[in-house]
Amino acid sequence: MRNILGLIQRFYVFLLFLVLQGFALFVLFENNNFQKAEFLTHSKDWTGKIYSWRTNLKEYWILDEINDRLSLENAILRSRLPENMLVINQDQYRPTSDTGAVQRYIYRDAHVENVTLNRESNYLMINRGSIGGLKRSMGVISNGSIVGIVSSVSDNFGVVMPILHSKFRASVRMKGSRDYGLLAWPGGSPEIADVREIPKHVPVEVGDTVITSGFSDYFPADMMVGYVESLDDQPEENFHRIKIRLSTDYRKLEYVQVIEDLYKPEQDSLLQEVQALDAINNPH
Amino acid sequence: MPLTILINIIRIAFLILLQCLVVNRMQPLDGLILPWIYIFGILMLPFETPRWLVLVIGFSVGWIMDLLSGPPGLHTSACLLLAFLQPLVQKLFSPREGYEVTQRPTVQSMGLPWYITYAAILTFFHHTWLFFLEVLRFSDFFYQLLHIIMSTAATVILMTIGQYLIYTSKNSQQ
Repeated sequence: MRNILGLIQRFYVFLLFLVLQGFALFVLFENNNFQKAEFLTHSKDWTGKIYSWRTNLKEYWILDEINDRLSLENAILRSRLPENMLVINQDQYRPTSDTGAVQRYIYRDAHVENVTLNRESNYLMINRGSIGGLKRSMGVISNGSIVGIVSSVSDNFGVVMPILHSKFRASVRMKGSRDYGLLAWPGGSPEIADVREIPKHVPVEVGDTVITSGFSDYFPADMMVGYVESLDDQPEENFHRIKIRLSTDYRKLEYVQVIEDLYKPEQDSLLQEVQALDAINNPH
Repeated sequence: MPLTILINIIRIAFLILLQCLVVNRMQPLDGLILPWIYIFGILMLPFETPRWLVLVIGFSVGWIMDLLSGPPGLHTSACLLLAFLQPLVQKLFSPREGYEVTQRPTVQSMGLPWYITYAAILTFFHHTWLFFLEVLRFSDFFYQLLHIIMSTAATVILMTIGQYLIYTSKNSQQ
């Protein structure tokens, strides 16, 4: 017994190191990415304050640029109002009343408090939380371009999984074609991402526009994603290898909009019903 | 002595804030160079700090870094390795008669060659551990190696410049 105590006394620093290191590695590898975001949730309320402070300071210096962007967006939105449209074809049927259409997507604004860009799995923190109506799995856009998906929420802050995350996937298509592909980020530059699984028969050229397909649960159709930067097709493959330049500039991201799909619960419950039926019909 | 403790706490807090609020926003060459200067606070701990305390400080600094920039455990693990190796490297390069009470691990106190060796070895271990834990894949091995070497060099250079900026020979006693 005395020998063991003596050993512990001699190597207690090494033992302490092993115990703490074991704990750190356990915490690092035991969690999946969503749980890691949960970890951020617990610390968010105070780290959020630190980052808000920094953002406030920084924003003061670029107020001009922000104003320009907001007024530009206002102008674009204003020009889409029905009273600014001229009806050029009186004979054609045109739905004008809003009884024929109901609200599907609601946009809420939020402010970016912190962005990481240099990891394999980056995160974005925004200053809207569950009190402000934020829920997990909502899509996030900025000036009409997709930014990411809400991955966890605290009372006052939310963490967004941006395109710049190794687990991020979204369904996209080339503007002008119906074939859809998969948006993924290979790491490295925060401006460039991959579009995979677009078949070779679809014509793709450098500079073409990539938009969301609408098949994903998170984003409405036809949101901006980016422009084709380069093509690196291999003759033996059936799909294009497309690199795109993202239209969201994460380095300058200040304001984002969070999308709530009011019909998502209905879609989800319908899907669950079908899956439950399938499970009954095909028991394994 | 209480002054030394206070100064070390303030230094560590300042460096963590500097890291998160300023350095992390700068990414020259698309993130090829990523200096983690907050470890300066651990490297600057006085020689007579007990080893268990260095470990506890390393753990706390890493944990706070993880809180500020996620994922949990990443910086904690790297800082623990650094805190474990720091006294060993100090011992390896100690003068024959050991360190004097007035000496500190600074350029002014120990000389530039000693400091660069000390800082470069520890920074290299910390950065290597950190980057491989984060990426955990060896596909871009040479890119990763370049990344580690460039970042280590940047961190050591920044820490050395920082010493010349902050410390004159008068107040290098802390």
